[in-house]
Amino acid sequence: MSVQPPPATGETRGRALPYLLIAPSIVALLALIIYPLLFSLVNSFKLWNLQTSPAPLMWVGLQNYRTVFTTTPFNEALRNTLLLSVIGTAVEFCFGMAIALLLNSHLRGMSVARALLIMPTTIAPIVVGFLFRYMYYEGSGLIPWLLTSLHIPVPPQGLLGSPTTALAAIGLADVWQWTPFFAIVLYAGLLSVPDDVVEAARVDGAAGWQLFSRITFPLLWRTAVVVIMLRFMQLFNMFDLVLVLTRGGPGTSSRTLSYNLYLEGLNNYNIGVAAAMTWIIVILVTVIVNLYIIAAFRNWEW
Amino acid sequence: MTAPRRTLDRRDLLKAAGGAAGVLAARSAGTAAAQDATPAAAPSTGKSIRVLVVGDPFQFSLEKIKDDFTAKTGIAVEMENLAYDALNARLATSFISGTPDADVVNVDQMWSGQYSDNGWIVPLDDFIKRDKDVDIKDFIPEVLYSLNTWRGHVVTLPIAAYGQGVVYRKDIFEANKIDPVPTDPASTKGWTWDKYKEVVSGLQGKQVDGKTLFGTVVCGAQPVPIVHMYTQLSASFGTRWFKQFPNAPWDFTPTINSEENVKALGFYKDLYDLSPPESINYVWFDAGTRFSQGDIGLFYWWTPYFYLVKNDGYMTGKPSVVQDKLGYGVLPKLSDDAPQTTSLGGWSLGIPSSSANHEEAWQFIKWATGVEAQKKMALLPDYNYQFSDFARASLYSDPEIAKIYPYLDMQLKIMQQGNGKIVRPPAPGYTTLEGVYGLQLNQALSGALSPADALKTTESLWQNILAGLLLVPYSGQSYDDTLENTKALIEQLAGS
Amino acid sequence: MVTRPTGLRALLLYLALGLVLVFFLGPILWFLALALRPPETAFLNPPQFTFTPTLDAFRYTFVEPGANAKQLLNSIVVAGGATLLNVPFALPAAYSLSRYRMRGKRQIMLWYIGLLMAPPVVFLIPYFIFMSRLRLNGTYVSMIVMMQTITIPFSIWLLKGFFDEVPFELEEAAQVDGARWWQALTGITLPLALPGIIVTSMFAFVFSWNNAVFPLVLSNQRTATLPIGTLSFFATTGATWNYIAATAIVAMVPPMLIFLLLGRYIVRGLTFGAVKG
Repeated sequence: MSVQPPPATGETRGRALPYLLIAPSIVALLALIIYPLLFSLVNSFKLWNLQTSPAPLMWVGLQNYRTVFTTTPFNEALRNTLLLSVIGTAVEFCFGMAIALLLNSHLRGMSVARALLIMPTTIAPIVVGFLFRYMYYEGSGLIPWLLTSLHIPVPPQGLLGSPTTALAAIGLADVWQWTPFFAIVLYAGLLSVPDDVVEAARVDGAAGWQLFSRITFPLLWRTAVVVIMLRFMQLFNMFDLVLVLTRGGPGTSSRTLSYNLYLEGLNNYNIGVAAAMTWIIVILVTVIVNLYIIAAFRNWEW
Repeated sequence: MTAPRRTLDRRDLLKAAGGAAGVLAARSAGTAAAQDATPAAAPSTGKSIRVLVVGDPFQFSLEKIKDDFTAKTGIAVEMENLAYDALNARLATSFISGTPDADVVNVDQMWSGQYSDNGWIVPLDDFIKRDKDVDIKDFIPEVLYSLNTWRGHVVTLPIAAYGQGVVYRKDIFEANKIDPVPTDPASTKGWTWDKYKEVVSGLQGKQVDGKTLFGTVVCGAQPVPIVHMYTQLSASFGTRWFKQFPNAPWDFTPTINSEENVKALGFYKDLYDLSPPESINYVWFDAGTRFSQGDIGLFYWWTPYFYLVKNDGYMTGKPSVVQDKLGYGVLPKLSDDAPQTTSLGGWSLGIPSSSANHEEAWQFIKWATGVEAQKKMALLPDYNYQFSDFARASLYSDPEIAKIYPYLDMQLKIMQQGNGKIVRPPAPGYTTLEGVYGLQLNQALSGALSPADALKTTESLWQNILAGLLLVPYSGQSYDDTLENTKALIEQLAGS
Repeated sequence: MVTRPTGLRALLLYLALGLVLVFFLGPILWFLALALRPPETAFLNPPQFTFTPTLDAFRYTFVEPGANAKQLLNSIVVAGGATLLNVPFALPAAYSLSRYRMRGKRQIMLWYIGLLMAPPVVFLIPYFIFMSRLRLNGTYVSMIVMMQTITIPFSIWLLKGFFDEVPFELEEAAQVDGARWWQALTGITLPLALPGIIVTSMFAFVFSWNNAVFPLVLSNQRTATLPIGTLSFFATTGATWNYIAATAIVAMVPPMLIFLLLGRYIVRGLTFGAVKG
């Protein structure tokens, strides 16, 4: 075989090629997200409610942004969203970590258990909503029945109907669906902790909790940080479960930011106010994601 | 000053929308004329129309008999049924885009003003005037007034009309020596809301057939169901939403935080305390289904529940345990000499301006709201007979129908004292107002807010919303929307 | 050496494992039971654990009248379409990010993952209006296009990892042997990365299959997907729970099978390739 000289244009193409290959995806995605963002930006300054006019009526400056805070329960929604994201992620992580350690205990049959365990995570969130709505059913649902049998009081309005339990009930459905995700991912992380490091620590006399907290967990952290971020944001965007389980009620006790936006835009058809709300959420999410990305992907090499 | 400019904007817009509707109407008239030249009743014209309806009881019967229409006219019907909010979304989508999504659409009375002002649906006046066989004078004027007219035009026709009344357990009333609920709105002496509550609390906790009775059941789910049920009580107590509407000149300054309404909301909370606790999340049919389970003494609700409670679940067709123990009555009044305002609701059919088949759509509406189709819907045995929501007065005295639905005499009288435009005023921006109101009512029910605070919040939020939508102060065109004007319109359209 | 726990410790561990499996699999079985049980036994108190199974609910939803059979087809079209459409965008980008040094690579990768974390509802209202104006509402196309906001960035992240595992030296060697870069790509790298491409596509399929937010506003009766089918049962006729369950069970099966098949790639797929399994 002979070595061919590179083609004359090779150098320039070589330089542009990487960008040319990326370009379609970037252009497509920009086209897909820029329209909504610009649309929302422009209309967030206009008076446009489809109930009173088919097209925007006039410029109203920052009024829509004020309206978000004064006439929609934005603060409650933000509070619920943060509660759900922080507590949900924490519970799923801890519970998932415990299961990962259990999976790592080299019991016979563990691989079958692992394969089955992931099943909740594969289900469409909206279907998980129905599954739990059935199990929460006042009076005859499996969960209130179990709680009553264990002499744990169930609110008379039902778990989804009481302001004190509605948000937690949504949280439990999410925990059920996504704890296996944490378990499986963290288990994979455990497997990648080198055996010799663990052995060395053992020889040095580390055991049990000490071994876990000093050696295993720090090695696992890099994986953990990525999945925690993913879940936190998914919980922050919570919509499907709210739609099926509570529709944000009773009152505003389980209304999330996403559901609040959905109501304003597609129930009240208040396009201007929904657009302002969109931008407030976009800015919030951008800040959170950036903070997190700085922390999570700090040492990544690409 | 910006106010005059705003007015201009809005007026121009309305004018433009009106103009567009006019053009479309003219175009449709052209098509109509063209089709009149050929015999309309020739079967298998190959024409097909799409009908978008909400999944309410009437839809099930309509679906069953829609082939009759095709057999009669040769026009095929493709019917799609949707949930309430999905329907609103679909219609708005199709209207914004001008996409001909459907040829006949179900219109809630709350939407007809918006749809009509925006030029999204075409007025039916000319069709009604042309086709005398529609017999517009047979429709109950109060129903047309509440559901179908906007700014002096008939914009839709009713396919199902609902009032509100009381359903109670005859057997329990008899066993406890409680007088039956009056059935004539003209003689309701002693039947007041206070009496109603007294009966409800008297029944609370009684043992019946091994079940512990709840006095009543309410709807608490936000926003729409609770507003539907609560506004009836609230209107009976004398609440008005706005300073002046629907009478001219319109003034949408909210008056929702009134003394009467605070009293009414406190009363509704009392009723909730005598209901199953989970009813705070009940939507329309949950309340009805609960009554069918046999542990509720009495409740008031939309008239379709007169027949729906015969089933053990929502439209299961399986007889409920209370089927043979049902008593019906009229709503209580605030006091013997207080006026009664009954909520009127229901579903109507309209023609989107984007449809290319206005004439066929009209034929369908004329047929579906006509005596023959409505009677057939009522006589269908499916689901344990379930359709008595007539907007046509003549059907209430049809002996064949009356045999199946024993309460029709009373129902007609209920409808005739109804006023949907006062109980839930179809103001522009209604959905947003309803959303806020429903949420606050629900908060009051759950105890998170006192009735006074809930209504105070509602009023201030409404103030913001209405000001934001340029409705307060109102500088648009008013229309003196009264029952008398509707009656005059009917006369004029009937051509007598 | 692996040491298996024995005795009491093993017993306790098995007990814990049993509890975990009951907690996570029990609800799925309970829902399956709902689809199979006679409707009148669905809401008994105390719950009834034994019953005569019947396929009536499946028959009603998928055979006669079978309103949901069309939705099954729609789900396949939408998820399949979204998966196919994303390949020409994701594949070159992932290849490029894996193979070449370039300015701003870090920013680009982070931008993609940032998109994956954007709230979908934010896109919904503008697209609802945009698609209305284009008269694309209710079409498969509108849903397939919207899904790309998820599938493209996801696939790029996952695929890049798979390309990283195919040694660049192989391609270089081929180029030294006279092959053009694209010949090396199609002849060597793509075949070696094929399993990764299939895995990525399967995940993209599952994500689109399970997505209910976009079809919620962009579909109509003719194009509604299975999750929307369950939702409309709930909304229109009150709770016909056994029908909801039957439809939901059918919607659950493909993702479950795919996940069982994907076994060791699950971790990667679910973390968008950010964590290698």
